[in-house]
Amino acid sequence: MTALLAIGLLFAASMAIGVYGVRATRSTTPDFLVASRRVSPGWNAMAIAGEYVSAASVLGLAGLMLKNGIGTLWYAVGFTAGYVAVAALVAGPMRRSGAYTVPDFADYRLGSERIRKLCAVIVLVIMWLYLVPQFKGAGVVLHLVSGTPYWVGVVLAGAVVTASIAAGGMRSATYVQGFHYVVKLLFIAVPAVFLVAHAGDGARTEALRMDVSDWSRPLLDLESSGQPLLATWSVLLATTLGAVGLPHVIMRFHTSASAWMARRVAVGVIVLLGVFYLFPAVYGLLGRVFTPELVDGGDTDTVTVVLPGEIVPGTWGSVLTAVVAAGAFAAFLSTSSGLLMALAGGLSHDLTRPSVPRLRLAVAAGALVAVLLSLPAQRVDINVAVGWAFAVAASTFCPLLVLGIWWRGLTPAGAAAGLAAGVCAATGSALASVLTDPGPGWLVVLLAQPAAWTVPLAFAVMIGVSLLGRPPEWAERAVLRLHSPNA
Amino acid sequence: MSGPRRVRVTSPQTRIALSRGHRPAQHLLPQPVPGSPDEGELAHARAVFHRQRRLAARTLCLLALLLFGLSGLLGAAAWLGRVSVLGIPVSWLLLMAASYPLLLVIAVFHVRGAERIERPGRSGRPGPSERPGPSERRGPSRRRGR
Repeated sequence: MTALLAIGLLFAASMAIGVYGVRATRSTTPDFLVASRRVSPGWNAMAIAGEYVSAASVLGLAGLMLKNGIGTLWYAVGFTAGYVAVAALVAGPMRRSGAYTVPDFADYRLGSERIRKLCAVIVLVIMWLYLVPQFKGAGVVLHLVSGTPYWVGVVLAGAVVTASIAAGGMRSATYVQGFHYVVKLLFIAVPAVFLVAHAGDGARTEALRMDVSDWSRPLLDLESSGQPLLATWSVLLATTLGAVGLPHVIMRFHTSASAWMARRVAVGVIVLLGVFYLFPAVYGLLGRVFTPELVDGGDTDTVTVVLPGEIVPGTWGSVLTAVVAAGAFAAFLSTSSGLLMALAGGLSHDLTRPSVPRLRLAVAAGALVAVLLSLPAQRVDINVAVGWAFAVAASTFCPLLVLGIWWRGLTPAGAAAGLAAGVCAATGSALASVLTDPGPGWLVVLLAQPAAWTVPLAFAVMIGVSLLGRPPEWAERAVLRLHSPNA
Repeated sequence: MSGPRRVRVTSPQTRIALSRGHRPAQHLLPQPVPGSPDEGELAHARAVFHRQRRLAARTLCLLALLLFGLSGLLGAAAWLGRVSVLGIPVSWLLLMAASYPLLLVIAVFHVRGAERIERPGRSGRPGPSERPGPSERRGPSRRRGR
């Protein structure tokens, strides 16, 4: 009950800040766009981190760690390393291109309406792959704290996010996302410190015991393939390069005043993510000692919410559970409203003629599909599904943006071929890994975490097909302008 | 949420694309003819681009070295798990905390390098810098690159 109250308070606070944020920006200037560029880099970095730290980081990381071992933390390293790639490759040039979204960028750089549409379809694929685990997280958390069936939680979560976007305040305000970062950090970090202090000496030593089991190996292994280094590298490739191509994160850089500022914001995000990712490991380590029963039979994604009650009994236990549940819900709320907005933008603005009622309809339709996809997904690990979203982004938009920004030879035909190859290969192998079981070996890794081959494939196809044709005459100008300090 | 009238915000690129209709991209003009005053500017822009690309490639190599190197080290050196600092196995400590400060260092060096390349007057060419002013002056009309 306490937990439901905490989630309700969090939701009310987000709405209040959203409404206040919209008012504040409107009262300073009639132009919302310009106002948003006055947001300080610190707030901007917090907003990006707030949107980026999803249920995968708050629930999924500790859950997968409990199940698969300490090597799961490579996901967190890759999520953070992605921002080094963002700062180095896309933040500044994307800001200068004037494109808010990846389809916009494709239109700028290649001048092709068809590629714009293809990009919009890929946006939908990535966003749905990313939304399903978020909704699963919300369903699981609500089930734990209130006992409602899983499907009720998923449907309720879909309704809450749709309503909050339709009301208008959530997404538009940078401050709401920044607030959510603080909520997530505090609501995960403070209970973590508390739990470590209360666990007792014996449990602490036990949690840090290194043994010869696969669990203790500091590398990631997928489905016991026996190829830990390949699996680790494939996940690192997917998460690092996937961050470059995530559509909902790219558009956030446009709120920076200049390319110069956009790069600095990306560096700020690295600091904020690095601080955050120190804490989920605590839950995974303590979970191995206190809640090992979740591994067989239970849902390991619930460990972050279950753990406080196991370690601290009584009222304090339920207060801590409430705090962690509210943190998880903040993760769900901020990420999925960002995702749903990007999805609805793609549906209404790139695929059909834009209008505000249609945008609202697109939000509702996008949420409905995500809810329907999430209902049978209760057994899917949150982090695995998010890994697929990153793998698809890494094999499609990452090559498009990187080659579009740094190579003038990219042609529309090359981009289209590479995007098609990347999206088919990455989603195809993710599907195949769900439907088939090839047994231990490298094949299972290449299906379950396909980035190791789909990213090089997409780059190779894009470059190869582009070399066959000739880039348009103005391509060099379009590229040079992305790097010109005077642009 | 009543209140002020809602304004639809679109990307400048979208506005350009919508106003362009099916005509070819007007905002991206072909290269200037040799000998025109634009030529010097073009050479400068090319130089900036190549310097930025070299810097980005170097940063990516460092990033790959850190990620693949650290994971390779942890995979190869099993003895790191048998040594512990403050009760934590060294290999776990490296995985949990070592990479974040190094990632930050790589990013900070990249940003400093990129800003040095962009600094006006580096190659003797004064130009309006992006740094000080707010961006309101640079509206979409100027983006068309006339």
